[in-house]
Amino acid sequence: MIFFFILLALVLVTQIVEFYIPPIDWMCNAHIYIAPVIVFYGAMALPFPLMLALALFAGMLLDALTVQVIGSKVEISMGWSILLYAVLAGIMHGLRPLFIRGRWEVHCILSGICTSAVVLAQYLMITFRRGSVFFSREVWWQIGGPGLMAMLMAPLIFWALHGVARLSRYPYLPERSHLE
Amino acid sequence: MNRTSIIALLIFGAILGYFLSFGTETTRRFQASVYQWLAPFFTTGSGLQKQITSVRTGLKSLEELERENGALQVENRQLRATNQALRDVEHEVNRLRHALNYRDRSVFKLVPAEIVTRDSSTWWHTVTINRGKEDRIDSDMPVVTDEGLVGKTTTVSNTISIVLLVTDENCKVAASVEGTREQGIASGERVAGGLTPLLDLNFLTKQANLQPGQKAYTSGVGGVFPSGLLIGTVKSFRVRELDGQAQLAPAVDLSHLEDVFVVTGRK
Repeated sequence: MIFFFILLALVLVTQIVEFYIPPIDWMCNAHIYIAPVIVFYGAMALPFPLMLALALFAGMLLDALTVQVIGSKVEISMGWSILLYAVLAGIMHGLRPLFIRGRWEVHCILSGICTSAVVLAQYLMITFRRGSVFFSREVWWQIGGPGLMAMLMAPLIFWALHGVARLSRYPYLPERSHLE
Repeated sequence: MNRTSIIALLIFGAILGYFLSFGTETTRRFQASVYQWLAPFFTTGSGLQKQITSVRTGLKSLEELERENGALQVENRQLRATNQALRDVEHEVNRLRHALNYRDRSVFKLVPAEIVTRDSSTWWHTVTINRGKEDRIDSDMPVVTDEGLVGKTTTVSNTISIVLLVTDENCKVAASVEGTREQGIASGERVAGGLTPLLDLNFLTKQANLQPGQKAYTSGVGGVFPSGLLIGTVKSFRVRELDGQAQLAPAVDLSHLEDVFVVTGRK
């Protein structure tokens, strides 16, 4: 349970830290997102109810910090990021046996794909509201860039979180030696 | 799926349904309270970032500081003198307007603010400032610098506010172009590849034929932005099927913005 609260705190901290990370100009201003990687790690390491709670917290925070309220309209209603995180985290959770067997690489790649999926879903939602759907080179970079960065960061973040889980004596530790 | 998971799923569904049922005002209030709750973290983060930046770029010798101080004092005296002259002109203009039965022109009431955070999202262009309801700031108030228009406030909490930048597609500003009778709507691009995104000035006449370098100002139509604020300068003009469109370079360098002013009214 302590590990779950640590993950909640880390999601909060990384969500704040993301405000101070400048976009990558050579990636057409793509942003770096760390919070989704932590949520997706939690999806694999936590049991189903706690995975849902983590997705709820992360989605609520993402919506509250990014949703745009202009005049009498809200671009993306509160709750959509919660649903999105829950669905993607659910998919990751389904691959948990693989993770427990110590196969991290699939999840690192999936973390990247799911991070891009969050950005893509946001883009589709605002596009349908504003009209004129288009996919330029910049759009693809801004969708793919965060995913690519998440993919690169995932092994390091997973390794660090694995260490935190060990320290907090988390019982769901994916131990290769136990299962092989 | 075991019983605990089903119960968790049901609770999750109920909470999700609750969030999805939020209306505009509830969302605004919820967002304001989350920002208010996180305000101390943002302020600390902003202070840390400034310290790091100043350590990296700001170590100056005493001689450089003295020189800079001297230059600033001279500039300060010049600005005071200009300000005094402008006050005289303002007084005279108002006296003449009064004689013609026109309403007095007045200067804006400005509240200075610091940028606390920049946008962390991909699709929205916003910044957060360290002023809120306690400083009499409300939503839909124009935000400016000495160089021109920055944007407008959207969600406002007690001590922190979100500013929608003029480069956001949702920030639509009624504009007029200097030296012409052209009027249009300026707004940002949905996706900007560079660090300084451009603005689109739409709904111009096909005959507008704007030249690079011409300045676009707020026209005052719409009620949010007062007239006469510099939005940007024309970079290019093209004729479309139904109207003319100009691309503007924003007057303010939004990527290096540190201090802004919120226009809270007129003096």
